[in-house]
Amino acid sequence: MDPLFSWVESSAFSVWARESTSIFAFPTFLAGHALGMACVVGINVAVSLRLLGVTPGFPGTELKKVFPLFWVGVWLAVISGTILLIAYPTKALTNPFFYAKLVFVGLGVFQIRMIENRVLGNPDLDIPPNPKWVRLLAVSSLVCWFGVIATGRFLAYTYGRLLVSW
Amino acid sequence: MGELQLWLVETLSSVDAVSTLMRTRWAWPICETLHFFGLCLLFGTVGMFDLRLLGFARGIPIATLHRLVPWGVGGYCLNLLTGSLFLLTEPDQYVFNTAFHLKMLFMSLAGVNVAIFYLKLFREVKPVTAGGELPRLAKVIGGASLFFWVSVMVCGRLLTFYRPYLCDPDPGFLLNCLPYG
Repeated sequence: MDPLFSWVESSAFSVWARESTSIFAFPTFLAGHALGMACVVGINVAVSLRLLGVTPGFPGTELKKVFPLFWVGVWLAVISGTILLIAYPTKALTNPFFYAKLVFVGLGVFQIRMIENRVLGNPDLDIPPNPKWVRLLAVSSLVCWFGVIATGRFLAYTYGRLLVSW
Repeated sequence: MGELQLWLVETLSSVDAVSTLMRTRWAWPICETLHFFGLCLLFGTVGMFDLRLLGFARGIPIATLHRLVPWGVGGYCLNLLTGSLFLLTEPDQYVFNTAFHLKMLFMSLAGVNVAIFYLKLFREVKPVTAGGELPRLAKVIGGASLFFWVSVMVCGRLLTFYRPYLCDPDPGFLLNCLPYG
């Protein structure tokens, strides 16, 4: 894979994203990645607490109204994450934590899609109390996002190689 | 302010037990993970409440959404704890850091905003049911809250890029460099 990594790392965009001292380069991508995370996980927190009965008694369709913000967060995180990956491909792609993170992201998105499509549209939501599988989904989706955050943070401390040339 | 900052760094760095624990192999990334998750708890719950104050998701009664707030307070406390651990371990990396100064400023503003909400608005908006209109002040407070917490997050993420270097001889009113040597 080294030829691929070094091809990406020597591209003008990668060099700029990595080495520019502008506050609008790397710092902005990191901040954007964090804001995307806050929207994605934050909205899942609000949805999960609804399904667990913390905020009972209103139709799930009301929560569907804030889902555009969830997708804004997803795209913000994906775009900024892709740029960070282009800046340091070797660092991420040689670290198993990166692949674990992708798996957790996939599971997290899959579960919230399931909640959005199968649960929030249900007018009988929580009368009678939510069935066990709905509560399970509420918790396991949050567990997956916790996994995304943990693997993402550990990426910064466990990489074996930063760049091909290092 | 420089004197005060130096005193603060000296005082904070005297808590050896914390820095010993934090310098073990995995303590720092584990605390960062908890710090990020705490931020999501705060932003997801308080942010959702702010969106309602701004006029989104009007079908949800205010009192119902207010039940999210204790979870946000939980996230806030988690972050106060983990944040204190970072600060006690590397005090000079924060006390002389412009991004940290701004983060503290925005946290204070967010706190003032919360106080105004509970003193001036809460009693009036608590009975507002599904579909109910809110006074204009609700939009101001909800919007301010979102702005302040986003700013806190951005400043937090920018901490790394304002790590202080040794001072050139001419530090300003608020030190943002290391005044040693």
